Amino acid sequence: MTSLSGRKMQHRGSLGQRIVRTLQRDWQLWVLLLPAIAFFIVFCYFPMYGVQIAFKDYKAAFGINGSKWVGLKHFEKFFSSYYCGRMFANTFLLNLYGLLFGFPIPIVLAILLNQLNGKRFKGFAQTAIYVPHFISTVVLAGMIYLFFSPTNGIINRLIAAFGGTPIYFVIEAGWFRPLFIGSDIWQNAGWNTILYIATLTGIDPQLYEAATIDGATRWDKIKHIDIPHLLPICVMMLILSCGSLLSSNTDKALLLQTSGNIKTSDIIGVYVYNTGLGKAQYSYTSAIGLCLNVINFAIIMLVNAFSRKVSEISLF
Amino acid sequence: MAKQHSTRIRETHADRVFNVINLIFWLLILFIVLYPLWLIIIASVSDPDAVLAGRVLLWPVDFSLMGYQAVFQYSELWNSYMNSIFYTVGGSFLSVIITIAAAYALSRKFTGKTLVNLGITFTMFFSGGLIPIFLNVRDLGLYNTRTVMILINLVSVWNLMVARTYIQTTIPNELYEAAVMDGAGHFTYFFKCVLPLSGTIIAVLSVYYGVARWNDYFTGLVFIRDRVKLPLQTVLREILASLSSTGSSDTFFEAYADNLGGLQEALRKAEVAKYCCIVVSTVPAVILYIFMQKYFVKGVMIGSLKG
Repeated sequence: MTSLSGRKMQHRGSLGQRIVRTLQRDWQLWVLLLPAIAFFIVFCYFPMYGVQIAFKDYKAAFGINGSKWVGLKHFEKFFSSYYCGRMFANTFLLNLYGLLFGFPIPIVLAILLNQLNGKRFKGFAQTAIYVPHFISTVVLAGMIYLFFSPTNGIINRLIAAFGGTPIYFVIEAGWFRPLFIGSDIWQNAGWNTILYIATLTGIDPQLYEAATIDGATRWDKIKHIDIPHLLPICVMMLILSCGSLLSSNTDKALLLQTSGNIKTSDIIGVYVYNTGLGKAQYSYTSAIGLCLNVINFAIIMLVNAFSRKVSEISLF
Repeated sequence: MAKQHSTRIRETHADRVFNVINLIFWLLILFIVLYPLWLIIIASVSDPDAVLAGRVLLWPVDFSLMGYQAVFQYSELWNSYMNSIFYTVGGSFLSVIITIAAAYALSRKFTGKTLVNLGITFTMFFSGGLIPIFLNVRDLGLYNTRTVMILINLVSVWNLMVARTYIQTTIPNELYEAAVMDGAGHFTYFFKCVLPLSGTIIAVLSVYYGVARWNDYFTGLVFIRDRVKLPLQTVLREILASLSSTGSSDTFFEAYADNLGGLQEALRKAEVAKYCCIVVSTVPAVILYIFMQKYFVKGVMIGSLKG
């Protein structure tokens, strides 16, 4: 009873009174929240505070606060550097192609899985396509090196069997993106169907029954029932993906980068890792990282606003 | 069966064609998904010479466990294996508890919730970046400690939202009202009612967090310097990295040459040992998934619907 009257009262009173009241009534909720909040503050917001070194000349001896402000020096250095354009292009194209090829496949898989006859086969297929998701990036990279090896790899054996000349996939710049994106699709396309399958199973079966009675084929049902139902969630996922068009994929790129494919594999995230941690250029690489984050954030906001206007679907 | 059949509208010709094509499509997909995994497994139990000659395609050839024998000698690998078990079990345990507690809190109404939600969601779209995160860890005195392997990535926003949605949609509000009537506070309600009803989502979160931690090599690469504290994947990277070179600089395997009867023999075994390393490092994650599979599909579906 006290909680009900308390809830009514909470809309009145000054901010201070409201804080006191919520602490009195809901302090237990705050205790439950505390560890999570502490984590986000210490491991997410502290670094956001520390990102100011992008505008400073960070010296470990002086710490973050004690280092000298230098304005946009590091940004200018980055944008005028020789490889800046190439790195931006590589990062953007890797993500763009990844999105272009990787985005539609889970949707197609989900629709076709939903149409499969036979409960057991369907269940098996669903379980099986999730499995590659549980393989680590290191192992995936290892598998690429094994299968695409120029001498012993099964792919090159196949090429040789059909009379072709072996290709040294992992050191040719032209093959970096196909390998990266292809392996990503192999690993995650199945996993990414989950959301779409969840949506499809939520559709009222009466719709399908009615369509069947009206003489609709399976193809008609996909076109007129499945796709319209999937559209909102697809748009949302698309907006989310747009927010990572300039994201780094550092861990995987680091594994697949070789001296041969550097022309296409030289992406910003790897550069930040090598220069920042390898050569201890903390301020300079923080500036680069900040650039990327701001651009990513701006893209997602823009796409979100655009989508809200055009299709009335948005994340927030 | 017969009765059902008579009431069902017969499939049209177009549907039958569709079904056949769809079935063929799925057989192809399953082949693409499963064959590479199968190939790794059969190569790991075959003779190195057969693997090198490319004769291992469908079944193990000249069955042998010498690769696994070699792998068991790599003491560094097993040390990192134990590290990874510790990081994964300890870290995931903390992650799941903290996530569930926070998810419950965020499923209730209270003053300040909007602000907390905003603060948490924001971290999903914006971060300080690799270098500030690294400096932060160093300034906290956590660089090169086992603690950082546990604490970093402790809570994932996505998992938190999935758990919150699950609690909101599966545990009826009437239960809360009844508990409050009986004089229960949030603690009592959370521990006595919410936790026992959250088995499914706890299983899902365990898999999410556990697999992410087990498979992570980057954290170890960035934050750990002492080799004895490295997690499995970071060590595995060095083993597999010798694959990108042509094989002459297998320094990792040279270290074990004495135990394995000469360098030549060690390198020969290393050829299958690489496959064995992949198998032993991947098995825990896949087994966890298969065991949790039952809860998994259900829990993920409920959690993700509004997430």
